[in-house]
Amino acid sequence: MIQAQELTKRYGAKTVVDRVSFTVQPGQVTGFLGPNGAGKSTTMRMVVGLAKPTAGAVSVNGRRFTESRNPLTEVGTLLEAKSVHKSLTPRSHLRAMAATHSIPFTRVDEVLDLTGLKDVAGKKVGGFSLGMGQRLGIATALLGDPRVLILDEPVNGLDPEGVAWVRHLARSQAAAGKTVFISSHLMSEMAQTADHLIVIGRGRIMADAPITEFLDDGVAQTVVRAAELEALMTALAADGVQLTRVDATTLRVIGPDSEVIGRRALEAGIVLSELRPLQRTLEDAYMELTRDAVEYQSQDSSTTKGGK
Amino acid sequence: MTTQLESTFHGHVTLGGVLRSEAIRFFSLNSTRILILVAVLVNVLIAAGTLWAMGLFSSQTAGVPGMPDTSSPAFTAEMVGSGLGFGQLILGALGVLLISGEFTTGSAVSTFLASPQRLRVLLAKSILITVLTAVVTLGSLLLSYLVSKPIAQNYGMALEFAGEPFQRVLWYGTLGVVMAALMGLGLGTLLRNSAGGITLLAAIFFVLPIATQLLIMTVEWFRNVAQFLPDQVGLGAAFPLSYQNNLEIWQQMLGVAGWALIPLLIGAWLLKVRDI
Repeated sequence: MIQAQELTKRYGAKTVVDRVSFTVQPGQVTGFLGPNGAGKSTTMRMVVGLAKPTAGAVSVNGRRFTESRNPLTEVGTLLEAKSVHKSLTPRSHLRAMAATHSIPFTRVDEVLDLTGLKDVAGKKVGGFSLGMGQRLGIATALLGDPRVLILDEPVNGLDPEGVAWVRHLARSQAAAGKTVFISSHLMSEMAQTADHLIVIGRGRIMADAPITEFLDDGVAQTVVRAAELEALMTALAADGVQLTRVDATTLRVIGPDSEVIGRRALEAGIVLSELRPLQRTLEDAYMELTRDAVEYQSQDSSTTKGGK
Repeated sequence: MTTQLESTFHGHVTLGGVLRSEAIRFFSLNSTRILILVAVLVNVLIAAGTLWAMGLFSSQTAGVPGMPDTSSPAFTAEMVGSGLGFGQLILGALGVLLISGEFTTGSAVSTFLASPQRLRVLLAKSILITVLTAVVTLGSLLLSYLVSKPIAQNYGMALEFAGEPFQRVLWYGTLGVVMAALMGLGLGTLLRNSAGGITLLAAIFFVLPIATQLLIMTVEWFRNVAQFLPDQVGLGAAFPLSYQNNLEIWQQMLGVAGWALIPLLIGAWLLKVRDI
């Protein structure tokens, strides 16, 4: 479990992470979603003690990561694809990491096998592609069989097979009861992997909810086509029903679901040529949230200009 | 609240573990192996070359007044250690690379994730570079002695292994090189940059002495300061003939300790407070 309270990071006058509070629960995949530069990596770096919070605090399994006596078996972290000396081989890098915690070298071969790096285990990391570097980063994160996994943009540079593999890995680790915290700037990726989403924009938490809430905000939207549109509108008109005319024969209905609309049309004897429920996609929800973040930014810069 | 889930591994991060980790990485890198080989070669070749040149020179100028007394064991012993100044630079550069490489390649992230207690990492690196530098320098001095002995005999120069002059070169000389390596580690930690760290190290050893020589010409008391500069104090105890000073041995050791530890301590403090 990861708990952040009022976590803040400022670089000079620029606030990169602004009073961020959240909890990442074990047993599920938590997606950390936001556009580039939203503060995802900075937040993750603060979780594992590489960057010091300007204010606020963050704990992993109840204590600060920097106080952990077994950091590698507590938290597996992938931050940058190539946080390895370029002249080292994956095997020597992983052995050096394992040695710090007296993890047996047989585990090194296991994770090399698991991440598909066995054939290149003796090659220098400097010549690796982004995808290979990413696999080595994931191998490093898995080395200590940790209770918490923190993966910053793990699918970057991976081929489709690799993307599916990371997705499966995240799901199976969460199913085993582990805490899985994955960042991404792609909603489509999160939609397939995460159970819970934390959306960050301009250093602030924009949303923190189960993924199902992003898909369905409880209000149905339906597109209806009928030749007798006026009659249909009369039939549907009621409290809490919002009707928007799209064109001469098309109506957008917010409120009642398609079954209710169909029944009312039948009762009024109106022929429907189309009755289509609209699904609000995660992408829509995400765009909506990040648009707010952009608005917040432009407002901010105009006030700064005014101040000068 | 928290699950009972445990890792299958129960090891803790320890100084010994980090030291082993540093050693694995150190000896897996070609650059470090090459620098060590160069350090040994430079020491041995300069020792043999200097001794040979001196022997040749003194055999031709024998009896000319004012020439150095090559028959003195102290003089010969210092010849055997004449590569140590270069050893200081090479192994000092190794000290810089040991930490700056972490930041230039991004491997610092991995290193400090495995041991978020940053000073433990720096301590492990300090131990590694100290032991390594000492072993390499002692080894190359012994090798230099073995190569120099027949040359010295050939020209009738006295060179005794057990005698005080050579023992002084051996142990104080090694200490002087260890000082440079720890200085390098300290500067590398401060600057986090390989080129910058090595340049600064070379500047302290080569440019600072020239600057102080100029200052001594105008300010007389600066001579006392100059004695404590790393190029003087570092090998002063090993080479009493070549580096003449009026310092007690404890004063020189204090100087050596200062240059070895002060950059390292400032670096340690910065490493603790800065972000990786």
